[in-house]
Amino acid sequence: MTTETVVRPRPATEDGPPPEQRPGTGLPALGFLAPFLVLYLAFIIGPTIYGLVMSFFDTSLVKPGLSGFAGFGNYTEALQSSDFWSSLWHTVWFTVLTTPPLIVLAFVFALLADRAKRGRWFFRLAFFAPYILPSAVVALIWIFIYTPGLGLIETGLLKIGLTSPNWLGDPNWAMPSLALTTIWWTLGFNFVLYLAGLQEIPRDLYEASAMDGASPWQQIRKITIPMLARTTTLVAVLQVIASLKVFDQMYIMTAGGPNFATRSILQYVYDEGFTNFRVGYAAAVSMLFFLVVLMVSAVWFAIVRRQEKGV
Amino acid sequence: MTDLAQRAETRVKLFNRICFGVLIAFALLWLVPLAWALDTALKPNAETTRTTWAISDPTLDAFSRVLRDTDLLTWFGSSLFISTLTAAGTVLVASLAAYALSRMRFRYRTAVFWVVLAGIMIPGQVLIVPWFREFDALGLLNTWWAVSLPQIPTAIAVFIFKQFFDGLPRELEEVARMDGAGYLRIYRKIIMPLARPAVAAVAIFTFVTSWNDLLWPLLVLSNPDIMTVPVGLATVQGAFGIRYADTMASAILGAIPLVAVFLLFQRHIVEGIAGSGLKG
Amino acid sequence: MTLTRRALLSGTAAAAALGLTGCSGVTPGRDTRGSLDYWNLFGGGDGVRMTQMLDAFRTANPRVTLSAVTLAWGNPYYTKLALATLGDKPPDVAISHLTRMKTLVSSGLLEELRPADLARHGISADLFTPRAWQAGLVEGKAYAIPIDTHPFVMFYNTDICEKAGLLDSSGALAPLDSPEKFTEAMRKAKEASGAYGGVVTINNDTSTPWRIFQSLYSQLGGEVLADEGRRVVLDDAKASQVLTFLQSLTRSGLFPAGSDYQGSIATFANGQAGFYFQGEWEISTFQTAKMPFSMTLFPNVFGGDRYAVQADSHTLVIPRRPDQDQAGLDRSLLLVRSMLDQSKTWAEGGHVPAWLPFRESAEYRAMTPQSNYSAAADAAVYDAEGWYSGSGSNFEIVMGSAVATVLGGQQSPADAISQMRGQLLNLSKTASPI
Repeated sequence: MTTETVVRPRPATEDGPPPEQRPGTGLPALGFLAPFLVLYLAFIIGPTIYGLVMSFFDTSLVKPGLSGFAGFGNYTEALQSSDFWSSLWHTVWFTVLTTPPLIVLAFVFALLADRAKRGRWFFRLAFFAPYILPSAVVALIWIFIYTPGLGLIETGLLKIGLTSPNWLGDPNWAMPSLALTTIWWTLGFNFVLYLAGLQEIPRDLYEASAMDGASPWQQIRKITIPMLARTTTLVAVLQVIASLKVFDQMYIMTAGGPNFATRSILQYVYDEGFTNFRVGYAAAVSMLFFLVVLMVSAVWFAIVRRQEKGV
Repeated sequence: MTDLAQRAETRVKLFNRICFGVLIAFALLWLVPLAWALDTALKPNAETTRTTWAISDPTLDAFSRVLRDTDLLTWFGSSLFISTLTAAGTVLVASLAAYALSRMRFRYRTAVFWVVLAGIMIPGQVLIVPWFREFDALGLLNTWWAVSLPQIPTAIAVFIFKQFFDGLPRELEEVARMDGAGYLRIYRKIIMPLARPAVAAVAIFTFVTSWNDLLWPLLVLSNPDIMTVPVGLATVQGAFGIRYADTMASAILGAIPLVAVFLLFQRHIVEGIAGSGLKG
Repeated sequence: MTLTRRALLSGTAAAAALGLTGCSGVTPGRDTRGSLDYWNLFGGGDGVRMTQMLDAFRTANPRVTLSAVTLAWGNPYYTKLALATLGDKPPDVAISHLTRMKTLVSSGLLEELRPADLARHGISADLFTPRAWQAGLVEGKAYAIPIDTHPFVMFYNTDICEKAGLLDSSGALAPLDSPEKFTEAMRKAKEASGAYGGVVTINNDTSTPWRIFQSLYSQLGGEVLADEGRRVVLDDAKASQVLTFLQSLTRSGLFPAGSDYQGSIATFANGQAGFYFQGEWEISTFQTAKMPFSMTLFPNVFGGDRYAVQADSHTLVIPRRPDQDQAGLDRSLLLVRSMLDQSKTWAEGGHVPAWLPFRESAEYRAMTPQSNYSAAADAAVYDAEGWYSGSGSNFEIVMGSAVATVLGGQQSPADAISQMRGQLLNLSKTASPI
């Protein structure tokens, strides 16, 4: 799964070397596995099943037990609800707005930084530092930057004679504004993945092509991009999944507004489950969202398979 | 011939220089929001409605107001405890499990491996509803445990450790086994010391992810005296009036611990993230 | 200036609290001990007043360790309050809007306030604004103690209005009791300020657009929900009339078409607008900004003989907890009583007091500009009942979001109305989870 493993001491085959040939009762293994498995069953597998069960009931947050059986009622309600579809669409729209720039810009910046002989720590600091900020901090800063009338962007654009839209206030601009904030915030992660990928490309490949008179541009097209294909797949899928799971930025910066234009699917779950107390319904929506994430993962898996066959 | 090579070289040099220039420009652009936040935080509140970088009367008042009037320091403590617990717990349980999967032969080994692998596909965010009911039933709502426990069994961490262990040479273990060392001893004395890069990667990444997590802690931590930094900043209101300087000061203070961690362990963090390639 | 005023305020408040605990002999007074957790949602000037009142309580009850927390307003606050109560660790006392309190009651999250317990602290039904007290009863039982009524009001910059010729010889603002008069006043104020006539929050805030809509819509006699939220009775013609009027204000540039909460405060405080529409609680912000302003009733634009204005009440509630005992309850009620006794401080922050011993006092009547709009409490329109209704609720978000798109010019009134109707129908059809 994690293809670009710097910490990996040497490449391992898919299933690893054969385990110890010593015949055992399996008891020591159980001892080693137990702490993980207990927590794993209690907090991942168990809740997944519980959530699935709950999605078929009219469970209320403020009543004990599962309450009445709803059959597929919650699912049909969700699939017929314009709120569900619009929040799913907002989530997809956010993903579309963020993923390409986060891949392309990270790639370009990493490429440029890789060529730079000096100041690499500075680039790493500049691009990566935002990534480690809590979302709440990022949100506070960017709300201020977007403030109509006195925001930094509006004032800056005004100086060069441009009027700016009402960033967070216009339903058409709010999502692009959140996307811009997110690009600024998380670009560093992909940047670092690409930097690591670039460093694994053997230098002599470039030297050899330079001997043949290849221009830098040709080198990038013929060597760098193909060699980074697997990193790109990884970056892309991690990015898509991370973008689908967006919640923080909307919750703090727009509360899903204006006019619900930025309510993401996770915020819809939050609203229905914990503000409206309808946890059964919220569980059903969660399951539908889970299905979407699974589909993305499946597509990725298929691509990786093909890439591995191709290599 | 040499002339041609020279011309190619100057072309490459020029290209590199342009690249460098572009990159510097973008890097500076990337720092603007942080610089602006700092600039604003150093102004008196009343001055913040004029959008200018100039500060007529720089002051640290906003910072001291935030530290005095909010529970930010408490939230630091809370975040630190939760993130440390989560990171340590994850490293421990994941490395133990990975060791078993990598080195031991037992029945259903493949099955266990696939069950764990399946966990990578389950995003914690889809589990918030059942988690909430579960911790309600356990009577653990509003505790640090409720935040930390569900984050500890991370399937991807097991996977990273297993991959790392698979790549470690076995000779040392063989020798140790000859001396009669058991699994636990080998794990403690040989495997874990060798696995330091993987430990660092998993620990740092878990720590950062846990520190910045919002959705789940937001649901379980209702009491401000145990909130984490992001939850506190997102839910608890500050003072009143026009207070952009205070807001920016709290943002900067909220960012400081991780930025400090980042500056100290820059190389580790970057390599760890590049190596593990996992994301929240 | 600010300092002295504040010092003076807290001084008098403390004195009042001390005096009153002294004379109500039955009240477990100075020797009550223990800890009290108190939650509220007050930002803005309210936050400052509340802090003063809590400090006065601390001074009067040195053995009670009071810790107070202010959480983000609206749904997040009520979500937190509900979740903490479900988690068995609620605060001892919490603020709730009157319009949100009933949902909490039917979720089984609040403690009933029995007359006998209240009587020990000198609290009884006849001491409150009847409208606020009655509105808070659930099946005849009390679960909440109202401390105020907080109507939507009009702030105006006296310098700009003077310059615009809107004030009469005594300095009073001529009534803006028709759409034409209102628009004309905004136009003159715009000329005088050089930027805008008035300002109202539109961005990233659904409550303010809802408040201005509800005020005007109720003046036309419109209602939105019936049958505890199970039926939608939105009147398209009336809603359209209000929305068209609101849109004309931003479209003509009399109001900015996109201003967030802080931004609209700044616009008014900087003298870029002559009028500002918001709940009365922003009074402290402008007093602190030392700007020339006054406040009055939200204009009766559409009402004619009938006046109506959107309002709600802040109430104090005691969340249910498994370990509640008599001593804890008394400690909580001690704080409740102290808040009531400090109604003056609270009224300084703009709110119309619900505690009659103060509301009927000469001292309150002498307070300006607060007493200018105290009549609003009697014309107050609370949000319709329903499990999804109340201040900052989904209902307000649905309504306010649609109104905001009209104010911002992104949607026509007709589209906004059909959006409101669609979303309200969804909510009304959903079986109550409570």
